[in-house]
Amino acid sequence: MDRKDFIRNSILISSGCIIAPNVLSQESKIKTNSKLTILHTNDTHSNIDPFPKNHHKYPGKGGVSRRFNLIQKVRSEEDNVLLLDAGDIFQGTPYFNKFNGVLEMKLMSLLGYDAATIGNHDFDGGMDGFVNAKSSANFPFLCSNYDFKNTPIDGHTKVYTIIRKGNLKIGIFGLGVELKGLVPDKKFGETIYIDPIDIANHIALDLKSKGCDLVICLSHLGYEYKSNKVSDRILAKKTRNIHLIIGGNTHTFLDKPTEEKNIDGNTVLINQVGWAGINIGRIDFTFEKKIFSKNDLLLVE
Amino acid sequence: MIIRYILYFIFGAGLIACSSVHNIFTESNTYIISDYLEQNNQADSLILPYRLSLEKEMREVISKSKNNFTKSRPNSSLGNWSADAILNSVDKSVFGLKSYFCLLNYGGLRSVLNKGDVYLEDIYKLMPFDNEIVIVELPFSSLEKIEKYIISSGGEPISNAILKFNKINFKNPGPVDYSFFVITSDYLMNGGDNMSFFQDKINVIHTNILLRDAMILEAKRQKYLVFNKENRIFLY
Repeated sequence: MDRKDFIRNSILISSGCIIAPNVLSQESKIKTNSKLTILHTNDTHSNIDPFPKNHHKYPGKGGVSRRFNLIQKVRSEEDNVLLLDAGDIFQGTPYFNKFNGVLEMKLMSLLGYDAATIGNHDFDGGMDGFVNAKSSANFPFLCSNYDFKNTPIDGHTKVYTIIRKGNLKIGIFGLGVELKGLVPDKKFGETIYIDPIDIANHIALDLKSKGCDLVICLSHLGYEYKSNKVSDRILAKKTRNIHLIIGGNTHTFLDKPTEEKNIDGNTVLINQVGWAGINIGRIDFTFEKKIFSKNDLLLVE
Repeated sequence: MIIRYILYFIFGAGLIACSSVHNIFTESNTYIISDYLEQNNQADSLILPYRLSLEKEMREVISKSKNNFTKSRPNSSLGNWSADAILNSVDKSVFGLKSYFCLLNYGGLRSVLNKGDVYLEDIYKLMPFDNEIVIVELPFSSLEKIEKYIISSGGEPISNAILKFNKINFKNPGPVDYSFFVITSDYLMNGGDNMSFFQDKINVIHTNILLRDAMILEAKRQKYLVFNKENRIFLY
């Protein structure tokens, strides 16, 4: 277990002149390193307890209590940890049938989730059901491509959030899958699904212009499809300014993040960790921030 | 060994007197949540009252299984068991002489059934949705749409029919005059999983039975879950 993969990767982030020129004149080159650790889950589907011992595929795997233990261990080792979920928190065990998602929300709040997005199954208790359960959550639900106007969910989600960790600024937004044909009409009511590509580009640019060092998309679009249905891989290729897509919906077990090139040829990472909380994904970003004066630019290889 | 690719991206060089550059190195890891990890007391005490309340009801042994029922496409023992259970739960007299078969969706089976005791909870995990069994009457002109759908999806659980050489063959074929019946869920009838052929429906009979309840009854009725690996869908 715990195969450690080192991804050969370099993501490029640029920002404007963030140090005043007078600082530069005193010291032409400043180097600061910061590290951000992202832990993530998707499609946990109300799997509070571990799978039974006689489960022929995942005996004894998963369980929220042990997940918390791991998260605490990582938090004790790292300064800047973000905990994120890519949707489908609900539906899959009697915990949801009987308690309507309240326990899932309470537990995610206890575990200290920083943000989540809405999956198609998070509509299974109806929109009022989602709002009721969400009242037990202390973290935001991010979704940018559902228009919830005229629905009970209106006002209960955010388009994006910006989180500061150490000296880093992280922009996170959410994308949901097309609901028609996946969720019974009456469960999503007047929710309007909007094509995710344009919106993603718009928000990612906005987050960049707000000075985010890293832009993360929590996506429930799905990893990839045989058809041309929009997926995380298509999203990565057709957008810019997104550095990491944390995906869900297709229950895809990835050993390590997939690397795609975006419109500008820059690397985008996509990761997804199956379902049911069997695995938890971790991605560490180390930012080596260098501030150069104009003359120093010549020295860069 | 960590291989680092370092690239510098200079934003606005030449336009402004300074630039900030990030080299970002990434490293990833996947943790398996398993028994090497301790339980967490805080989480356990939050879960406990909910678990106790559920266990009273859900840990009832309702059947036994000598096999692992797995889920796969185009055919699976789990798909066969599920579709058979739904078929068995409906009153066949409504069909008269007409053809009928049961059609579920692969994606709607949310868990597997394991060898050993079968708990009520296992059926809740297999069929967590509160979907109702409905009987949909369709014109024969819709049959080809269903065949195409099943072939392109790679297989769906069916009962009382076989799909071979791109054709659905009913086990008890009635007269091919006008219509046939599909036993399915209200979710699929309403266009779930893009089964748009249900829009052609002539008539719908509501059973007011949940798929899950039918499966629970069927599991209880069978001393050991009936294990059937037969192939019902041939994708050629």
